[in-house]
Amino acid sequence: MKDKDYYSKLGFKCGLEIHQRLETRTKLYCNCSTVPAAEEAITVIDRRQRAVAGELGLVDNSTKFESQKARKFIYHVYRKSTCLVDIDEEPPGNPNQDAIETAILISKSLNCFIPDEIEPMRKAVVDGSDPSSFQRTMLCGYDGELKTDGLKVQIPSIFLEEESSSIIHNTPSEVVYGTDRLGIPLIEVDTDPTIPTPQDAKKIAMRIGLLLRLTRSVQRGIGSIRQDVNISIRGGARVEIKGFQDIDSMDEIIENEVERQRKLIDIAAELRKRNAGVGEPVDLTRIFRHTEAKIISDHVWQGGSVIGAKLHGFNGLIGLEISPKTRLGSEISEYAKTAEVKGIIHSDENFDNYKISEKEMRELKEALGIGKDDAFILVAERKERCEKAISFALMRARMAIEGVPPETRAADSRNKTTRFLRPIPGGLRMYPETDSVPVETSKACKKLEGKTIEIEAIRKKLESEIRNRQFAEQMLWSREMPVYEEIINKVGVEPVVVASILLEKFKELGRSGVPVETISTDALEYIFSNYAKKKITRLGIEEILRSAPKERWEVDRIIKEKNLERMHKAEVRRLVLHFKDRPRGEIMREVMSKYRLVVDGDELQEAIKNQGS
Amino acid sequence: MYSERLEKAFESAGIGLGERFRLTSEGKVMEGMLMPRPDSGNPDIIIIKFDNGYNAGIKFTRETKLEKLEAAKAAAKQNSPSVHSRKFNHSLGKVELIYTGGTISSKIDYKTGGVYMLTKPEELLETVPEIAGIANLSLTNLMSIASEDMSYLEWQKIAKAAADSLNNGARGIIITHGTDTMHYTSAALSFMLKDLRGPVVMVGSQRSSDRGSSDAFVNLASAARMAAESDMAEVAVCMHATSSDNHCNIMRGTKVRKMHTSRRDAFRAINSKPIASVSYEGKIIYHADDYRKIPGTDEKTKLMAGFEPKAALIKVHPNSDPGILEYYQGKGYKGAIIEGTGLGHAPVSTPHSDLNWIRYIKSAVDSGMIIGMTSQCINGRVNDKVYRNLRMIKDAGAVFCEDMMPEVAYVKLGWLLGNYKKAEAEKLLPENLTGEISARSEADWFGD
Repeated sequence: MKDKDYYSKLGFKCGLEIHQRLETRTKLYCNCSTVPAAEEAITVIDRRQRAVAGELGLVDNSTKFESQKARKFIYHVYRKSTCLVDIDEEPPGNPNQDAIETAILISKSLNCFIPDEIEPMRKAVVDGSDPSSFQRTMLCGYDGELKTDGLKVQIPSIFLEEESSSIIHNTPSEVVYGTDRLGIPLIEVDTDPTIPTPQDAKKIAMRIGLLLRLTRSVQRGIGSIRQDVNISIRGGARVEIKGFQDIDSMDEIIENEVERQRKLIDIAAELRKRNAGVGEPVDLTRIFRHTEAKIISDHVWQGGSVIGAKLHGFNGLIGLEISPKTRLGSEISEYAKTAEVKGIIHSDENFDNYKISEKEMRELKEALGIGKDDAFILVAERKERCEKAISFALMRARMAIEGVPPETRAADSRNKTTRFLRPIPGGLRMYPETDSVPVETSKACKKLEGKTIEIEAIRKKLESEIRNRQFAEQMLWSREMPVYEEIINKVGVEPVVVASILLEKFKELGRSGVPVETISTDALEYIFSNYAKKKITRLGIEEILRSAPKERWEVDRIIKEKNLERMHKAEVRRLVLHFKDRPRGEIMREVMSKYRLVVDGDELQEAIKNQGS
Repeated sequence: MYSERLEKAFESAGIGLGERFRLTSEGKVMEGMLMPRPDSGNPDIIIIKFDNGYNAGIKFTRETKLEKLEAAKAAAKQNSPSVHSRKFNHSLGKVELIYTGGTISSKIDYKTGGVYMLTKPEELLETVPEIAGIANLSLTNLMSIASEDMSYLEWQKIAKAAADSLNNGARGIIITHGTDTMHYTSAALSFMLKDLRGPVVMVGSQRSSDRGSSDAFVNLASAARMAAESDMAEVAVCMHATSSDNHCNIMRGTKVRKMHTSRRDAFRAINSKPIASVSYEGKIIYHADDYRKIPGTDEKTKLMAGFEPKAALIKVHPNSDPGILEYYQGKGYKGAIIEGTGLGHAPVSTPHSDLNWIRYIKSAVDSGMIIGMTSQCINGRVNDKVYRNLRMIKDAGAVFCEDMMPEVAYVKLGWLLGNYKKAEAEKLLPENLTGEISARSEADWFGD
């Protein structure tokens, strides 16, 4: 049983980074629209970036690794959602004040300290996701705390930063980015690495997400919130997992990552026992000049090279499975692939498929000096790619002797595993933002005095309004909460009606193919106000929603076209009179079968009850 | 800069900039590194760098406690090889890089919090290692100055350094320069350097080289390519051709102008086409063959670096006071370039006599000043005949400067007055000396 004890014995350390896009009128450092581009790019530019030193004069490891790849970055530039600031052609403006206030509100709600002065920083990002090669970021709160369900976790830092570009297309030699998303304010909430189990990590992630939503200042919809998880176990190293598509599989992916780290630690122990090491790259092209192995000959015939290296003491370990469908060999291969090669060949593979001749194998082993316990790796490609790939592969192999490499990895929600992205970045990639001035926080703090997001208070308020515990709890966690609040505040309608429509009807209609997400809040508000004014019935509301209106006039049109105008009380009474002396149930059925959308059930019942009087 | 009382507090706690310290404020304990404070902002706010690399500002109060901490294990110092220790290939073209400062070699300046020039140009070259494969480079650290702070005295110094290098075996010259006035310097060098023996390529950048996205790297590599390999013997400016990092334009020193405050393709060829482009991969493509080529003789490059600082550049605009000419005349100026409207106009038939320039132009000319006329349209050629008003200005004695940009005409005027007698200078002003005036205007010089 993998319970708290199990993880505590492993020295499990787990912390979260929650990233949430804010809902502001403009981007963080310019006046561009934060609405994603529904437009064609007006121009496309391409750029190259390289590693530069941070404030302390040193180049960060992840920065160096990425810039060695020398990829070309292509940016799609839009009219309304991109400007020269985004594409690194104009200095930034002042930071968006609303975003700063939201960041401070969140910091306060998580019991953080707020610096007297926020110092804008540049965080080096050389994967091209920012045309300026850095992300502007500000520490807005630190040393806070979150308590939930008997759990307590420290919140060491809260940042306000710029969202990165979205990837449109990605190959090893170039990446195409969209710049509409770039620069939208993004809040990052970090926890310290004391979350006891993968299940608790999921719980805390959900809780922070809820708190962020309850500021009513965050964007909704796919991709507007992202969770990164930092994990290590004793004897391992910190691994950052990015890109959880949905929070549901978070615990399972974490569990598999823990198992991966355990296996890597075991392998490292075995390698050290064998006194393992890593050899130098050797050019083996001449051995494969006439090879029939297509995977090699394809490259040799085009003037490419074959480069190999000995992995001393690695025999049998490269082929070991370390997480579902992944071996140590695949991890070595992932490193090599960043140098634009398709992969590597290693000695724990089944060679039957490759058609490498016995003679070639013998010569290869001789050239590399392979003994009984040794393994080897091979790469065939253009010479400079080969050299880069083999040096990356050897880098990874060397780390296998140490144990777990500190890496940024991507969550794979289909296989519930993780895959290598780049070495983990450190503090060396920080640099002061020289184009902007520091922000004193006293004014914003004064404005927000006494204000925090109190989840318990909001829960209680919902319970007293909706008077249905289940609906209230559902509403608290629902993305529809801001819509609910807006309607309740503007229209005098029973909260339980709004809650049940938003929570249940929306789901039901959505399942039957109605694009409920396109219904505007304004249209919804108008529908409920019609209901409150007794112009339509409750079933009428559902019927209107079926047409997914976006504007008020559309609501009017639907009411007219579908004849949804509510029947007046007197008319209902007249209708009931036609059925004089018939059993009540029958009258109810008869009337409802014909007029269900326009007759209010309660009124009908009342009319039936009173028909004799 | 921190406030005096804060400086004192640091001193008594023994904490220096860049050192680890503990700060206790309102019961809250923080540890990190003390960072310098730019001159801007509140001098009582301490900037602390936390271990995650982030800086935060904490206000210093009477209750704030400061303690020095033992230094954390210092990160391994990286040995950055200097450009002199870098192995340059001697079979490549010998190129002298003359360093003058500018954004191309800037990084954070704690005086203001903005960026300022490096004093060690080697640091810049470290970020462009591919240069070692392009040119056999040596370095002259001539000055470190922002281009807006430059004067003709710096132009003279740069011109001399360039001439000396060319005459001492360099096949080409790269001059790194701030962008704001790079086109003034390029014009000045175009006139000051006679009988050039090789390419003189000026280069700058619009993004400082401390950011990974800087245009400096591609600009510098392209300039090196041009200086090491081209047969062009002219002064030219090498900057991004578009917002993309894929090629640079090589633009004649007298036919180029900064046309945007911040974009990397700010420099545009005016009343001309670029002489050449250099691709990211290093291929030079010439757009015409009317550039001056390296002469086949041993003739030395000559320096003709005289410059008359008493020359002015004046802009005419609605309601402009022509008395400005009288002011310069009174201060003993030897000449002025007027940046007129349209074809070279100034108000000369206006009913408002106090705004009428004609009398002042005539008086300046009569006093011995050279008055040149150019256009604030920047693109195109001035004309002294089409309108009556133009003829009046011409008759008053102004020299119409063809398709020279106002800035170039100004530099030329100062240079002519510094090297020639007045009559000769006046005669040469509207004549082409080094490609600054085109005899014809081609149809695709103005577009997009």
